[in-house]
Amino acid sequence: MSEVRLTVEPRTEFGKGAARRARRAGKIPAVLYGHGVDPRHLALPAIDFARVIRDNGQNAVLTLDVAGAESKAEKATELALTKTITVHPLKNYIEHVDLLVVHRGEKVTVDVPVVLTGTSGPGTLVHQELDTIQVEVEALHIPEQVEVSIDGAEAGTQILASQVPLPSGATLTTDPESMVVGVNEAPSEAAMEADVDTEGAGVVEDKPETEEAAEE
Amino acid sequence: MLIPRKVKHRKQHSPSRSGAAKGGTKVNFGEYGIQALEHSYVTNRQIESARIAMTRHIKRGGKIWINIFPDRPLTKKPAETRMGSGKGSPEWWVANVKPGRVMFEMSFPNEAVAREALRRAIHKLPMKCRIVTREGSEF
Repeated sequence: MSEVRLTVEPRTEFGKGAARRARRAGKIPAVLYGHGVDPRHLALPAIDFARVIRDNGQNAVLTLDVAGAESKAEKATELALTKTITVHPLKNYIEHVDLLVVHRGEKVTVDVPVVLTGTSGPGTLVHQELDTIQVEVEALHIPEQVEVSIDGAEAGTQILASQVPLPSGATLTTDPESMVVGVNEAPSEAAMEADVDTEGAGVVEDKPETEEAAEE
Repeated sequence: MLIPRKVKHRKQHSPSRSGAAKGGTKVNFGEYGIQALEHSYVTNRQIESARIAMTRHIKRGGKIWINIFPDRPLTKKPAETRMGSGKGSPEWWVANVKPGRVMFEMSFPNEAVAREALRRAIHKLPMKCRIVTREGSEF
């Protein structure tokens, strides 16, 4: 994954009003923390940051040029990993970003997306249990995704986390026994119809609400 | 149809119709989902109708998940009844769905067929909805 340089501004006003003003101005409120330093509140350029995430994935490593960093404690350049991206569920814009300070050569634990390739055998249904797997890897060599091939997989095939091919230098931290992908036999028409009990899945007991009512 | 087995109180206040979904806003089980864009009460009949619409279209080879449950009773007074004499009797069981909630999920190998099945299911639901995918859309 390539390193990306981004010019950011420190934030001086906080709260939802200030955050909304920043978003209207094309900025994303963000916080930078880690390695025992005081958290720094930043504003990222929304369009540039969205492009970085599109091109480099959610685990992008950024070199931040902080404009107006004055004191010695506040460095003008920071290497940061995007830790959490909060996206609005309906309007689909980035609301807030958590950035984690990293050092060169440092190992970090990140969630890497799992992508399925190929087509499973006929009459099968693929069920992906895990969207991401957690790996420990050097900060500057985070894989964008890991690929799992299900080409021609028969019903009953299970791919565990330990069977996912990882790039060199990456160590699995997810439970190795956890299932990533399961290939099952495709349900028949009758099985799908009977998926939900349609014959009165339960009858509400018509009990009197109070003891007085019961006496009546 | 979906209905609670046992309830603590047969008659409840009407559920709140404000705010957005706090969780369940992403596709977790299947590959595609139906996301509510508006608030609405979804009755057990509508849930069942949407499920049947999807099931009948894809026929076989897929899986459907229902992420909402109609656990709230709504009451109604009988027709031509004078006011008073207490609250009416339970008439419907509804799920209180808020904007952003992924109500149904589906797993099916053919995307075009899956989208058509979900489109048919959306027609059975009382609010504006959209089809979402597991990968999500780009910012």
